[in-house]
Amino acid sequence: MRPVFRYLPLDTPIHRLHPLVKLAHVLLTLLLVMYPIRQGDLPVLLVWLGFSGVLWAVGRVELRRFTTLLKILTGTFIFLILIQGFTYRFGRTPLIVFGHLRLWEADLGVLTREGVMFGLLLCVRILVATSSLPLFVMTTPASAIMTAMGKLRVPRVATFMFISALSFTTLLFEMWASIVEAQKLRAFDIDRMNVIKRAVRAYIPIITPLILLLFRKANDFQIAMETKGFGAPIEPTEIETLHARPADYLWLALIVGVFVLCTALKFGPWL
Amino acid sequence: MPGEEVLALRKVTFAYEGDIVALRDLNLSVRKGEFVVVLGANGAGKSTLCYLISGIVPHIYGGRRQGHLTLVGIDPWDEPLYVTSQRCGVLMQDPEVQLFMPSLGAELAFGPANLGVPREEILRRSKEALTLVRLEGLEEHNPRDLSGGQKQRAALAAVLTMQPRVLVLDEPTSQLDPLGRWEVGEAIERLKRAGDLAIVMTTHESEEILHLADQVVVLERGEAVLQGSPEEVFSHPDRLERAGVKTPALIQAQSRLVALAPGAAALPSRVSLSLEGVADQIRREVTNRRLTVLPQALPPRQAPAPEAPVVLEARDLTFEYPGPPAVLALQDVNLQWRQGEFVGIVGQNGSGKSTLVRCLVGLLRPGHGDVLFRGKSIRGLSVGEMARRVGLVLQNPDYQLFSASCREEIAFGLRNVGVPDEQIEGAIEQALRTVGLEKQADLFPFRLSFGDRRKLAAAATMALAPEVLIMDEPTTAQDHRGRYQLADLARRFHSEQGGTVVMITHDVDLIARYAHRLIVLYRGQVLLDGPTAEVFAQVEELRKTFVVPPVAGQLAQRLTALGLPPDILTLDELFQVLVPAGIQQRAG
Repeated sequence: MRPVFRYLPLDTPIHRLHPLVKLAHVLLTLLLVMYPIRQGDLPVLLVWLGFSGVLWAVGRVELRRFTTLLKILTGTFIFLILIQGFTYRFGRTPLIVFGHLRLWEADLGVLTREGVMFGLLLCVRILVATSSLPLFVMTTPASAIMTAMGKLRVPRVATFMFISALSFTTLLFEMWASIVEAQKLRAFDIDRMNVIKRAVRAYIPIITPLILLLFRKANDFQIAMETKGFGAPIEPTEIETLHARPADYLWLALIVGVFVLCTALKFGPWL
Repeated sequence: MPGEEVLALRKVTFAYEGDIVALRDLNLSVRKGEFVVVLGANGAGKSTLCYLISGIVPHIYGGRRQGHLTLVGIDPWDEPLYVTSQRCGVLMQDPEVQLFMPSLGAELAFGPANLGVPREEILRRSKEALTLVRLEGLEEHNPRDLSGGQKQRAALAAVLTMQPRVLVLDEPTSQLDPLGRWEVGEAIERLKRAGDLAIVMTTHESEEILHLADQVVVLERGEAVLQGSPEEVFSHPDRLERAGVKTPALIQAQSRLVALAPGAAALPSRVSLSLEGVADQIRREVTNRRLTVLPQALPPRQAPAPEAPVVLEARDLTFEYPGPPAVLALQDVNLQWRQGEFVGIVGQNGSGKSTLVRCLVGLLRPGHGDVLFRGKSIRGLSVGEMARRVGLVLQNPDYQLFSASCREEIAFGLRNVGVPDEQIEGAIEQALRTVGLEKQADLFPFRLSFGDRRKLAAAATMALAPEVLIMDEPTTAQDHRGRYQLADLARRFHSEQGGTVVMITHDVDLIARYAHRLIVLYRGQVLLDGPTAEVFAQVEELRKTFVVPPVAGQLAQRLTALGLPPDILTLDELFQVLVPAGIQQRAG
């Protein structure tokens, strides 16, 4: 089982892009979603999401990986829409009424249109926030990431932790799948359990061996890393040499331009 | 011409925290270009020796050491690990935990880059290391996409770019299939022939490295009980047996048939380490009438009656893993397992063995074809419902153990299948008795040894009383003594309960000893299927899968001109057919 978000060795304009330009896209995305949120932000977020979608398409990242991202976030989205639907304090238009239970300004028995819309807005915001990092990881080789981080003066240990965490994810996926299989073989039919039963009893037989195994593997990882000089008080060598090309400046200008447009849309008098 | 001494241990004793003595009064001298093989049962101190030499002890695992250890002019005990790592590289058993970078190129550069080696030099070393392990052109590949043997060779290359003077290999082939073992063995052989490195390797697979070793050390409870050239060490089969080390089959054959008495270390030159050499010796003994061939002494092989009912069937089974790229793992596989059969399945990693058994237990649903249990399709059954019909004992018990006690671990499955509470206690006792763990019933499973954890996992599966028991690699990571414990459980399940056993393994000795039918899978299809001896006789076909028949079988094949039956599989059978002339006369 492979994790969906890992480096894809292709030759596309996005793959060739200087890692710092891609990193700028990640940072501007995070900045955009950190702006104070308002009801009318949906078009702004959709513009940035659309722009990110274009980058995904140019980088030839398959659509199924985006679908996987959606699948991973589905539970969170449902939770957010429901919680906002029932608790949004500016909710005025009832969609479904279960009864009345007032808590401060909200009526917990009423699902409101405004609440659902605000929940949807939060979902789009999360989607925007989470869509840029996979693109960066899937189009940038590890050595380039390390060099780019080095240029930003990010400590090597932190960069390495990020890189090895990506690698460790693969192992985690594999172990998770193996443990689920092993427990199914003991008639533990997790697939046939309902959501509540799963939450109550399904995860202990899976998470306990996972944690125990991770402890053991982490120890072996430490041995493998330290016997290769990791942590030596020596300035490490940068393998990847990065040079900015005119195309990198053009892409950077485009990214910054779209960001300025979104900021203007958000704070300008138009919305 | 022996090179300079690069590693020296003088009266080294080591105890882990808690005063558990792992090594005692160990002396060892290794010179440049030398290949030292360390043998011993699990817990004998082999890994501790590797940790001591490479500095992992005391920098990662603590403990107390006495005596002197010198590694290329330093004592790893006193130096930080990054200093030792420039002199000594270490390769461990599990390649998965040694590869942590997303590309092979980055993996190889990781070590020297940490030490500030200039970029051009790193690239030169990487290229050289990749050539040596024959992974050229894969620099951009993610190491996790490589096969088992390739992964271990990649991990070896990543160690070699550090340019160590001493290479420590801690059971580097124990988790690999025959092809992987051959690939890694070949890389090690090339390193040995280059002569630049001193190599210290621990292993249970004494047969595979015999021809390379300059020095062999046998450890028992931390002490070197035998030490010397391979010929000297393997002239003591009884002592090796006591230390839990497998005497290579070739040596056993010589010891028993060529009158090489145990303890004849004074005549080490008589020990041959090649198959042809031993065959020649036996031929001479027969010609000189010191050995007699009794082909009729081989008892007929027992197989279940052909009319025994079919319990499990794979019909036109095809399975494809979705891509990209899609992988066709099984293609039109048709197989039947009859009640009471003991069947071995061999094949390379990727040949479809695991996919096949996952289909048989319902973990995977075939795209085409079907699996039938007692004539009925299993499509409507869940994996849990199948668990009472077909039990699968996995290779790694740690994927399933999670309870606070062994008792609870077995109860978990029983409760899942709805066994009434009043019957559960009895079933637990019975299962623990079967695997000999009744005294550990209340112990936390993770405190058991790996071998006992595997037995517990098997007990948990067998407690569900399946009609068919499938075992996946029962000998993996086991020493000579523990090797057949799990397989013996399967044999008892087969002989005492009349159950059907399917065993996936790379261990040809295991197959020869237990299975009366052998299936060979190759690229998702059945390459060979028949009585074990007949399948092993098809040497050319087997070669495609890198499966080599057992040594006894290979000897018998070479000696058919003397009248030996070609279907001999085990040493016991060989010794039944080849007997000292005097014994035959007395018997006559």
